[in-house]
Amino acid sequence: ITRKPETSNCAPALSQREFLPAYLHCIPLSPPSASASASAFVLARFNRARAARMTLPHFVCETPLFMPVGTQGTIKGLTTSQLEEIGCQIILGNTYHLALRPTSELINELGGLHKFMNWPRALLTDSGGFQMVSLLHLADITENGVTFQSPVDGSPMLLTPEESIQIQNKIGADIIMALDDVVKTTTTGPRIGEAMYRTIRWIDRCIAAHQRPDEQNLFAIVQGGLDPVLRDICVKALTKRNLPGYAIGGLAGGEDKDSFWRVVAQCTAALPEDKPRYVMGVGYPLDIVVCSALGADMYDCVYPTRTARFGSALTPEGVLKLRHKAMAEDTRPVDPTCACMVCRTYSRAYIHSLVTKDAMGSQLLSYHNLYYMLQLSRDLHYSIIQGRFPEFVCDFLKKMVSSDNHLNYDTQITDVFLPMKTLYLKMRKLLKIFLTVTSPSGSAMPWRLQKLILELVSHHPRPKQRSKMPLGLITGIARAMRRKRPSSLDILSSKRAPRNYYKGKNCKPTGFHTRKGGYVIVPEKLPNYVVPDLTNFMLKPYVSQCPIEVLTTEASEPIK
Amino acid sequence: MALRFEVLARFNRARAARMTLPHFLCETPLFMPVGTQGTIKGLTTSQLEEIGCQIILGNTYHLALRPTSELIDELGGLHKFMNWSRALLTDSGGFQMVSLLHLADITENGVTFQSPVDGNPMLLTPEESIQIQNRIGADIIMALDDVVKTTTTGPRIEEAMYRTIRWIDRCIAAHQRPGEQNLFAIVQGGLDPVLRDICVKALTERNLPGYAIGGLAGGEDKDSFWRVVAQCTAALPEDKPRYVMGVGYPLDIVVCSALGADMYDCVYPTRTARFGTALVPEGVLKLKHKAMAEDIRPIDPTCACMVCRTYSRAYIHALVTKDAMGSQLLSYHNLYYMLQLSRDLHNSIIQGRFPEFVCDFLKKMFPKGDVPKWVCNAMEVAGIDIAACLPPSSSRGCGA
Repeated sequence: ITRKPETSNCAPALSQREFLPAYLHCIPLSPPSASASASAFVLARFNRARAARMTLPHFVCETPLFMPVGTQGTIKGLTTSQLEEIGCQIILGNTYHLALRPTSELINELGGLHKFMNWPRALLTDSGGFQMVSLLHLADITENGVTFQSPVDGSPMLLTPEESIQIQNKIGADIIMALDDVVKTTTTGPRIGEAMYRTIRWIDRCIAAHQRPDEQNLFAIVQGGLDPVLRDICVKALTKRNLPGYAIGGLAGGEDKDSFWRVVAQCTAALPEDKPRYVMGVGYPLDIVVCSALGADMYDCVYPTRTARFGSALTPEGVLKLRHKAMAEDTRPVDPTCACMVCRTYSRAYIHSLVTKDAMGSQLLSYHNLYYMLQLSRDLHYSIIQGRFPEFVCDFLKKMVSSDNHLNYDTQITDVFLPMKTLYLKMRKLLKIFLTVTSPSGSAMPWRLQKLILELVSHHPRPKQRSKMPLGLITGIARAMRRKRPSSLDILSSKRAPRNYYKGKNCKPTGFHTRKGGYVIVPEKLPNYVVPDLTNFMLKPYVSQCPIEVLTTEASEPIK
Repeated sequence: MALRFEVLARFNRARAARMTLPHFLCETPLFMPVGTQGTIKGLTTSQLEEIGCQIILGNTYHLALRPTSELIDELGGLHKFMNWSRALLTDSGGFQMVSLLHLADITENGVTFQSPVDGNPMLLTPEESIQIQNRIGADIIMALDDVVKTTTTGPRIEEAMYRTIRWIDRCIAAHQRPGEQNLFAIVQGGLDPVLRDICVKALTERNLPGYAIGGLAGGEDKDSFWRVVAQCTAALPEDKPRYVMGVGYPLDIVVCSALGADMYDCVYPTRTARFGTALVPEGVLKLKHKAMAEDIRPIDPTCACMVCRTYSRAYIHALVTKDAMGSQLLSYHNLYYMLQLSRDLHNSIIQGRFPEFVCDFLKKMFPKGDVPKWVCNAMEVAGIDIAACLPPSSSRGCGA
């Protein structure tokens, strides 16, 4: 069933693909013409966007490209042959996590991460800098380096620039990242400037510590927060060091998109033309298209695989939530236009039945999502080469924005549900009222309820096909109205009673705990006190008219 | 009848056969991975085809809960839902009577389960079970039987056995697709040879496409286990497949094949993979062990599966406790191992070298010659000479 990707992205023959010194890039493919760009790296351009071919020791990559994140030396859910199937070019590994376990010494002993994972194509290792942000509560940053408290056993782990580069040398990836001082984009004040200058000081230490410059390419990372002045200083300083490539770091942390693209635009304008630019931590398909248009080449993000584990699939129209009830009977593939194994083999209904209950659902969605991202990379590359980049971008945006099936898709661009907020609040009030009213027959609706319903109906004009209210709200309310609510004549259990209800101590349980953490009452197990029928009962409680005073003592001696 | 069973070769009681099902042509002895919820945990259908899986087992009880058999029927049956082109078998829900006993209430009418999802009662009668299985559309369906734990004693076993016989008639009556789905009956009777004999005779009278030996794989001692299998395989018809349910360990499969059984299913290979254990010819390999951390050999150097050709033990050790990928790769290998074992059994019987294969298997698994006594006894009954695997000096024969 497996089908090799039809891209012509095959590595050249081994004799050609010698181990080039890291600073030299690729073999020029087309004879230089008068209008061709000065460098041999870029194949084609459209304004600032470029399609290039990057030759690394293990693989020849085509940019723009997306790199799946395989933190622990594996992409969660996919084997290396599946990764080759979908056309993955570079995989990212994390120095911090790999140094913890299984330790870089072991990886080195076993021949490097390529051999350990049995991945023949390219690898990139991050320096551990990002963990300064993501694991900030465990990190202590000084001029010397970062001291982490290992989440495994609590022992301290000092990560200096020298240490980070040494670890990355042992791991053996094609591209290694310098250790940079990363701050959250939401930080303000002198910390950003401090971090930026420290990054520059650390890059020199990284360069000095790098022991395999011929086999591994050291990339520097531009810091400086959202401040254009700081970013400019950093770019100039790093460019002076003349490294094989540059990354734009410190973004993808929650800053607003408007600032984000401006920083990327500034950096790509200032960084050298003939070296690759890697925007770290990006991301969403839309962000990748925008950054490619601005002149960036490489991206990495956990988003495709992470969102797959939450049951969301990436499609041209946006994000498809497979957990949604509507997917249960949908026989279409996840994306009818997608050529990946999952979309050719399985239906949405099948994946829906798996996503919450079986790891297989996450696995299949990871496969599809990564295929989507890699296909997006290939599309970007070829559309620039074939001179139809603006058409591609327009097409991409059109598909994403014009989807009118808002019930299932979650578009990133327009905030569809904002006008729904008032409606939602009203529905919540309605729900609360209805739940507190316990009428056994359910026939007479309280007047407040009727008023609310009328209000809602009149507020929202009858649309053509169906209400624009989110489907989840409607079904939720319907379910609340339909479910079996205990009548006030039922046996009172501790779950339904007010706070002071006596729930007994160590008596028989009244139900069982469900796997999801709830509790199901089993009516047969509730204590049912049966009061006997006392008609014609002649006995009376006996109370003696002349009680004898009895003294009891603990000792067995007779009463005096 | 939608099944054709031709025995191609024999060795004493062991047989290699070809079973033609509506969706696939299977070769027995065969092992069926268990895909409870309509999927084998961790493997895609193309990977399953790669490793040579012939039949997958699904569970009526779990599929009826979710996604419900009506939905599966609407979408064209479980084959189409899973996109699995080969054969499927569905269990009737009987085993859940044992595994989920605290949620079950068994009466003559059927079994009332309390759904673990929402607590609603779910009544599973023979008619209901067969109807659900008709909707799911597997090639082989199992009759609903009254299952008791082998460790039970007393009249409950006999009651269960007779009730199974009464229920098989109700199952046969309720079966609406006999031309496309094969209904197998299940022999019950605990460990009592008399009860088992009665049950076998009664079920054989009904002339069904195949028979299963149930109620085992529950914690009984191996000596009783093989005797029951031997008795049933001796008594069941020769020209119909025999399915020992819930077996199991590779050693058990070899022994039961020697005694004349054809089909097996178990969660063991995939479940043990999720705990970091791999199946190898020498036994089991615990990948979580410290010693695996620096071992660059593949899990099984003699294995030809994708995992053993691609990854080292050190790599999988690094994954097993921290990433689901470890379980996935081990599941792949373990299932490949079981299916390769099935193929080896089939081919060795056809090529007339079955005793040599069994000896070889036992030698690898028990290199010191400490083959368990129950295996020795079983092989004796099966007519296979395993003296070569035993230590020559020991005059008693087998180890304890």
